[in-house]
Amino acid sequence: MSSPRATESPTSDRKVVVHLRATGDAPILKQSKFKIAGSDKFLKVIEFLRRQLHRDTLFVYVNSAFSPNPDELVIDLYNNFGFDGKLVVNYASSMAWG
Amino acid sequence: MRGVCTRSGSLSAADFYASAIYFSQRWNETNSDFPNWVWIPCSRLGAISEDEGYLVLEKIKLQTERNDSNLELNNCDSCANDELTDEATLVDVHSHDAHLYDLHIAYSFTYKVPVLYFRGYKSDGCHLSLDEIKEELPSHSVEILQKSKWTFMTQEEHPYLNTPWYTLHPCGTGDWMKLLLSSTSYGDKASLIQYLPAWLSVIGQTVGLRVPLELYSPS
Repeated sequence: MSSPRATESPTSDRKVVVHLRATGDAPILKQSKFKIAGSDKFLKVIEFLRRQLHRDTLFVYVNSAFSPNPDELVIDLYNNFGFDGKLVVNYASSMAWG
Repeated sequence: MRGVCTRSGSLSAADFYASAIYFSQRWNETNSDFPNWVWIPCSRLGAISEDEGYLVLEKIKLQTERNDSNLELNNCDSCANDELTDEATLVDVHSHDAHLYDLHIAYSFTYKVPVLYFRGYKSDGCHLSLDEIKEELPSHSVEILQKSKWTFMTQEEHPYLNTPWYTLHPCGTGDWMKLLLSSTSYGDKASLIQYLPAWLSVIGQTVGLRVPLELYSPS
């Protein structure tokens, strides 16, 4: 007899297509589309951007006028704010001067 | 002057009031975990006018390192951890230790953007110093504060209470609000009404306040 446990939600195992868009004078990535597990936190996207761009501080936001908390799950962001099969994530440079 | 100036990312006092009321209503409807935001009518000039004032959210726990570890223990329903002693005692001890915060959102007539004013307290009511607050902020918040050219904390006089509060300086706000507002295809009206949720999505991260995702979709 199996112990009761929550069924693994199929959506959280999904991969989500993320499209990274440079704004302002932020550098454009050679490859701007990639897939990430829906169960990953948005923090992973932020860290990926930082590594790719060698920038410690980026201003990262989605096409619905907000900057997601790094703890948000990618699948939640996609379900609520995704469009056309992908989640568009914009980024700009916000490093301190000097 | 009505209308958001998307070139500058600012808004008028009247639009701040409209967005504040809209935001607080939606927050209060969707966010049962937190107390309600309350609008306090107040005027710099003495006479109370209905559409000048500020929003307050008081005596709340923020997503701090300290409070997070408290929460983990408190929410440990099915925890079979042998190290835990009497759960009731644990809850008492840790909620007694919890640091609470007051958050106020007021309009800056100089910069024409909202400004966050906040204070932290120990369980005995003593105010936390800025260093003590920074010590317990999530690492993500500390990073933003230290490295971003747009957000830094200072101490200022609260515009209505005439006491010193900590604040995120508003001089960079227009720059990043410009980016946020231009990311949507909303018309002017929708942009304006969503101004506060958009603004809080960034400011909230600097102090460990989580905004529910529902607030970012126009109703």
